[in-house]
Amino acid sequence: MELYEAMIIISPELEKDDHQEVLDGLSSAITKNNGSVSTVLDWRRRRLAYEIDKVQEGHYYLIYFSADGTVIPEVEHYFRVTDEIIRFMVVRTSEEEFEAAAKKAASEAEAAKKAAAEESAVVDESAAAVGASEAEVTESADTAETPEPAQDSQEKTAEAEVESSEAEGEEEKPADE
Amino acid sequence: MRRDRGRKPKKKICSFCVEKVDDVDYKQYDKLKRFVTERGKVLPRRISGNCAKHQRQLTRAIKKSRIMALLPFSME
Repeated sequence: MELYEAMIIISPELEKDDHQEVLDGLSSAITKNNGSVSTVLDWRRRRLAYEIDKVQEGHYYLIYFSADGTVIPEVEHYFRVTDEIIRFMVVRTSEEEFEAAAKKAASEAEAAKKAAAEESAVVDESAAAVGASEAEVTESADTAETPEPAQDSQEKTAEAEVESSEAEGEEEKPADE
Repeated sequence: MRRDRGRKPKKKICSFCVEKVDDVDYKQYDKLKRFVTERGKVLPRRISGNCAKHQRQLTRAIKKSRIMALLPFSME
């Protein structure tokens, strides 16, 4: 068994709700071959450094899994046949990275839960009549959808940088034409 | 003789060694950015002052980053 890290870029045209489907397909491809998915990190939507298939943005995901090397062709085949995945890369990774990713995912999930709990608390106050079960539903929906505020500042600056460099690119484009 | 003129070249220190990086990570593209020119080329060791080991890792990391559209292949 080896440890692997797969990075995929999902097309921005795919609705966010359908992302899980793509990820599920991947994990079934892995588990079918005696592998196991450990962590999925959502890198969220970010600007691409260059245009791919006429799109400028993509939704990044990092998937950490352990499996035998024979799984890799299967996984790559899945990536290739899935049109929504516009780029992918599978690399071997270290145990430290594996654990760091798991920790990060856990802290992100916790922060998302906390944010959701706060939000639902506000909802409860404003509309006390809302049933507890309904509040729970909104909470779970929030955990799934809220872009984690736990994203470290480093990543945020990175995003800002990407945007600024992108802005430069746009300035220059009209000159080309 | 003439070459001796001017300032002594300052000894550069590999920044990855200073930070005790074991593997240069392609995912930290904001860090890698410092080691590419504004055209997107890899900065030579003579400029960056990296040690050979880390320069090799850096080059591979930059290339991986480029594939995943985290860094540009070229900028006009």
